[in-house]
Amino acid sequence: MSLVAEAFMNQLAAAEPWPENAALYQQLKEDQILLSDNAASLAVQAFLQMCNLPVRVVCRANAEYMSPSGKVPFIHVGNQVVSELGPIVQFVKAKGHSLSDGLDEVQKAEMKAYMELVNNMLLTAELYLQWCDDVTVEEITHPRYGSPYPWPLNRILSYQKQWEIRRKMKAIGWAGKSLEQVLEDVDQCCQALSQRLGTQPYFFNKQPTELDALVFGHLFTILTTQLITDELSEKVKNYGNLTAFCRRIEQQYFEGHDKDGSAAASARSAKRSESDPDLNKIWSQIFTPECFCLAACQMPSSCKCVTHLGVQLVELMR
Amino acid sequence: MNCVTVVVVQHVHFDGLGRTRDDIIMYEIADVFKAKNLIDVMRKSHEAREKLLRLGIFRQVEVLIDTCQGDDALPNGLDVTFEVTELRRLTGSYNTMVGNNEGSMVLGLKFPNLLGRAEKVTFQFSYGTKETSYGLSFFKPQPGNFERNFSVNLYKVTGQFPWSSLRETDRGISTEFNFPIWKTNHTLKWEGVWRELGCLARTASFSVREESGHSLKSSISHAMVIDSRNSSILPKRGALLKINQELAGYTGGDVSFLKEDFEFQLNKQLLWDSVFSASLWGGMLVPIGDKPSSIADRFYLGGPTSVRGFSMYSIGPQSDGDYLGGEAYWAGGLHLYTPLPFRPGRGGFGDLFRTHFFLNAGNLCNLNYGDGPKAHLQKLAEYIRWSYGAGIVLRLGNIARLELNYCFPMGVQSGDRICDGVQFGAGIRFL
Repeated sequence: MSLVAEAFMNQLAAAEPWPENAALYQQLKEDQILLSDNAASLAVQAFLQMCNLPVRVVCRANAEYMSPSGKVPFIHVGNQVVSELGPIVQFVKAKGHSLSDGLDEVQKAEMKAYMELVNNMLLTAELYLQWCDDVTVEEITHPRYGSPYPWPLNRILSYQKQWEIRRKMKAIGWAGKSLEQVLEDVDQCCQALSQRLGTQPYFFNKQPTELDALVFGHLFTILTTQLITDELSEKVKNYGNLTAFCRRIEQQYFEGHDKDGSAAASARSAKRSESDPDLNKIWSQIFTPECFCLAACQMPSSCKCVTHLGVQLVELMR
Repeated sequence: MNCVTVVVVQHVHFDGLGRTRDDIIMYEIADVFKAKNLIDVMRKSHEAREKLLRLGIFRQVEVLIDTCQGDDALPNGLDVTFEVTELRRLTGSYNTMVGNNEGSMVLGLKFPNLLGRAEKVTFQFSYGTKETSYGLSFFKPQPGNFERNFSVNLYKVTGQFPWSSLRETDRGISTEFNFPIWKTNHTLKWEGVWRELGCLARTASFSVREESGHSLKSSISHAMVIDSRNSSILPKRGALLKINQELAGYTGGDVSFLKEDFEFQLNKQLLWDSVFSASLWGGMLVPIGDKPSSIADRFYLGGPTSVRGFSMYSIGPQSDGDYLGGEAYWAGGLHLYTPLPFRPGRGGFGDLFRTHFFLNAGNLCNLNYGDGPKAHLQKLAEYIRWSYGAGIVLRLGNIARLELNYCFPMGVQSGDRICDGVQFGAGIRFL
């Protein structure tokens, strides 16, 4: 969209207050959504929670194609459709809600820089792992990505997406990297984030910003998603303050709210692997059907229970 | 020898056959041997020539009738010689097209008479700045019975539908059998299509946005056509009945429905070279299972080729100005075609034009399939849109027609978009 049109749209958007029926669209939670998309969706949900704006999560198999930019998640607010965290932050700002108003220019630039770091390193590493690591592609990505579609459409769509992502990787120079190098990059990114976070509760001052939402979305998803191996989550677990940060944000913003998109439940169901029977046994011991039911009933106490269990899982995985 | 002398056709020669096989030729010329007198021979030879030409494998067919020469010649024996020129093995065409903000080059290739029995392979490829589309088709008639044929098509087609703010890309494969039964023509077809829907503009309504994405339709369909008109464009007499049904979902795919539609037209010539024509169209789409119907399967109504006086496909359910189509519709028209007043250019150019007075009506809606047929009829009968007017029709060859009408739309419901006043239309199928 041209700058003029965008400015005009923002003017229009600013005139209306946040409606009650705002909706966030993503792919199907149980069977379809992948690691990178789940991270992005969780980041937006965290951001909207931090701004205290109610939104309900709607799962659609064609969410990726419904989105105006082709990426999930996107929000449908009044008459407008906005996708991806960056534009959503702008949109919400036009309505008068902002988390980064208290920052000065230098801090804002720093925040943008760290968000770029997360997008260029963490997100790209997630995409690499999902689409360029052959084992993960075969066992997790292809079955999940094409699951809502009949044969042969499921194979065609996942191969098409894989080709597109691999072309993008080649363009940014990641095609030649090995898995170890990618994990090294993840480690360096986590180190930078950990150093910036230090012992503070949030990245800037005592208030969360969109950077906190983005980092939470990615790190929490990495920590709680079961892949073929857990090398990726190991890299994050090396930094204690990052795991504590995730736990803190989850406790503060995702417990006691009444949508079934509670962070732990959504991340947990994002991926499953049949290759590690021991971990699966632990999995089934912790997350009994009873606990799932409680979570689904959306009682505040149950959400605490789920969060507590989420913490237990993280401890267990060390 | 004169016209009524009994003659015997002794030999039929063919000059110029190359790759064409003998057996299909034998079928087409079998009748010539049955001719009894000279007039009959000439007539049967002419019919055989027409039959040979319709196979689509010869560029030219000449007939020579001569008395028989040679040792076994009878006194009233005749020899008929067909001099044929076969089409080349490969014909190609190359065009460039320029349209709205886009250009494309179109390459066409045709392989007539590929294996000697009138099989045909055609390939068309269009490469443009916006879109690429292609089609590959293999056609095989039954030797001796050209109307019974079978074809396989592979295609990719893109369409843009601004009235719904929708873009659709179809990639599909279809196989069809055509066969005549008595006076009717039947077609049995299986089609598998990968459909991709998308929004044409960022301002598309959310109902259309929700339909974006991919789906796979695998359907079997049957069509029956009875056509006794003397021409398909501006017929003077005769009737047409087309009934089409399609069942999707039982051979794979994720779209499941039963679709029926029919088209009926009746023409009668009146005094002074004028023709009265009545037509009726209708259709119904019943989704099977829980999923609602897709915007790509529904019916649309309105426009210069349908209910005149309304904008293209702009009648019926809509959301924010995007027309979503409906699951049931009917449309009818009464027309009176007369020659141009004062008959200018009579006998020549003026005969291509006709004056045209019309009355069109129709309705498009979604039915609640739980209610009975009485409720359905009631729903289709309320909110009828109709229009009347007059105009000029131009016939383009035997393929298309152009219309310029002045229309008065009536019964307009809120949400319909009208085109009252002058409306121009071009097409091959008009209500």
